[in-house]
Amino acid sequence: MQERDVDLLLLGREGNARYVSGARRLWLGGTRAFAPGCAVVRATGAVHLLSVTDDGIPSDIPPEQLYPISWNPMNLLAPVVGAPGVAGARRVGVDGITPLFEQLLTGMLPGADLVDGESLMRSVRRQKSAADVEAIRAAAAVADDAMAAVVDAMRPGVREIDLVGVFDERMAAHGVTTPAYDAIVSVVEEGAVGQWSTDRVIDDGDLVTISAGVLADGWEASVARTWPCGELRSEHRSSWAQWWSAWNALVDRARPGTPVGEIRDAGEVDLHGVGASYEVLADDDVLEPDTVVALELRHAGILGGETLLVTADGCEPLTRAPHVAVP
Amino acid sequence: MTAPSFGQGGLDLARMRRDRRRMLVDAMAANSLDALVLLGQNNVGYATGARAPVADAARAGARRMVAIVTPDDTALFTSFPDGVPPELSDEQVLDSLPLESDIGARALVDALPEGKLGFDELTMPLRAALDGREALDAAVVLSAAKTVKTPDEIECIRRAQAINEEAMLAVEGMLAPGVYATALTGCFLRRVFELGATSNTVEPIFQVMPRRIADGPYSATGDLVFPTVTKHEPVGEGDVIWVDTGIDYHGYKSDFGRTWVVGGQVDERRRDQFRRWRGVVDRVLEVVKPGATAADLTRAAGEVDGRRPWLAHLYLAHGTGTDSAEMPLIGTDLGSDFDEGVVLVPGMVTVFEPVIWDDGHAGYRSEEIVAVTDDGYTMLSNHHYAPYE
Repeated sequence: MQERDVDLLLLGREGNARYVSGARRLWLGGTRAFAPGCAVVRATGAVHLLSVTDDGIPSDIPPEQLYPISWNPMNLLAPVVGAPGVAGARRVGVDGITPLFEQLLTGMLPGADLVDGESLMRSVRRQKSAADVEAIRAAAAVADDAMAAVVDAMRPGVREIDLVGVFDERMAAHGVTTPAYDAIVSVVEEGAVGQWSTDRVIDDGDLVTISAGVLADGWEASVARTWPCGELRSEHRSSWAQWWSAWNALVDRARPGTPVGEIRDAGEVDLHGVGASYEVLADDDVLEPDTVVALELRHAGILGGETLLVTADGCEPLTRAPHVAVP
Repeated sequence: MTAPSFGQGGLDLARMRRDRRRMLVDAMAANSLDALVLLGQNNVGYATGARAPVADAARAGARRMVAIVTPDDTALFTSFPDGVPPELSDEQVLDSLPLESDIGARALVDALPEGKLGFDELTMPLRAALDGREALDAAVVLSAAKTVKTPDEIECIRRAQAINEEAMLAVEGMLAPGVYATALTGCFLRRVFELGATSNTVEPIFQVMPRRIADGPYSATGDLVFPTVTKHEPVGEGDVIWVDTGIDYHGYKSDFGRTWVVGGQVDERRRDQFRRWRGVVDRVLEVVKPGATAADLTRAAGEVDGRRPWLAHLYLAHGTGTDSAEMPLIGTDLGSDFDEGVVLVPGMVTVFEPVIWDDGHAGYRSEEIVAVTDDGYTMLSNHHYAPYE
């Protein structure tokens, strides 16, 4: 905030709020329009949070820094605007806005300019501390085990959508009640890329791709695998050899100094940052040590992916779910 | 796996999309807007029928679909071709734009039509790319269209609710002392997908209630704290559990609320709490019909033992549809003048969630969903009240 000369940071995105506060509030799927759910005041360093209770709120945020929900947007802003150190704020960072909140904010803080708080948050969140990495590692362990449950449950007659439930149930057995996204379980078919799980019945011999992730204590990890239903068919064996060769080449490039765009251009690749939720990476962002990314590669009909910690000289997979053994 | 029974109503998704678009265009005309620019995924889905996979907000936002809606045309920017409805032509469907970048934001601004534009939300690069061009708030238009549901939309809510209720039978079956509250979440999530839910969009709540407010977590309002995140802890014999869940069926949300007692022992005081809750619901439903105001409903709910029988920071009732809590909001802190101005019309869907609380003895909370009809209402929820009845 100092660097960017931001006096007040107003965060509507839950991942940003989680990052600055450590709070675990109720999870809602999908996008939400901007509302002031969290505020950081430069003059005091205080984090103020929208919450009627301290349940799930770290103890370093005292009750007087909590403000209750209101259906009146003015009442929602009033405690933030009235917080110590906010009066006279000139530059207010927001991570999104609605026309209504822009009007109210500029009315309540006359003369203040709204600036991009999302890019500020993105730059701050990228670099992970050792504690952050441990939290992501814990999330990765849950994702791995829930992936194993899906693989165990895969048998002829089961539908793709049933396996989404299997993933979630195992995830919850670890005390994690929030997926990072609805698991995408999809029978491999020529020319089609499943974008979500359907009620398609999985047959003996089908190849099935699974991409899934969790938010554990607010930290994200995801993993992707392809498994055959039943025995691996001989015609599928060479696909794995091709995938592994492409994957190993890809992971080899996942090291400090590589531009994100270069990895994305290497094939059908999905690459983004992870931390206290999904993190946007631009093509011209460069991988740096102590950043964590989710990398997926779809090649020769096979989908696989890991959550990777970029280290000083390469990367380390944080997810470790087993792959199918190809004889 | 048995499919839930869905009642009589048929469902025609193409007709539903047509009707919604017509209502949206009417609302645009009534509010003098020439185009809507929609970034919220529920809003894009409502306006176009397009589907994106459900994900945590950050991922959903980064991969968001965007719609530009004018009276004569729709443009949909999406990276999910499987989710594009068939009536949209190839010319109307465009590659998704990264609105967290200046390049993507400029590309969207270049595609905007002339005239007055309503936005549901903006990314900061989009706001910058507008370069001072006026962005009006689309909330009023969206709310006007969404508040009144067509029979197809009501059928989606009914089906969402039926799946939610059916899944709860499995959860109820496993409720016992020593079971982790999070395991109830796991059972619920597994079952809703098996039963045909499109997704789960609200973290399921199984909250063990304190006997007294003072025993519970800190309350900024002094009132009861609910909801809180489900704990990874075992439930105990006699625990009072408030349940609140919502799933998604073709974009429409269910809302299930019940009170359970672990072990099923309900004493006379608890039974009386349930009867008082039932009394509030009955009194309120009696006045639900077109023309009644939200204030009529809060008056009918009255006071029970000196307090308004709902959570002060929430509401007596809220609408549900493509958003889990939408208009009409009834009994909120917007106040009684606001409630006087909210008039029920046929097609509104409201979720009633009164609360009875006896400090020292916990309380009772359940939810009922109704759709307002031409001369009254029809129930969309249909679930038992065990172990209270």
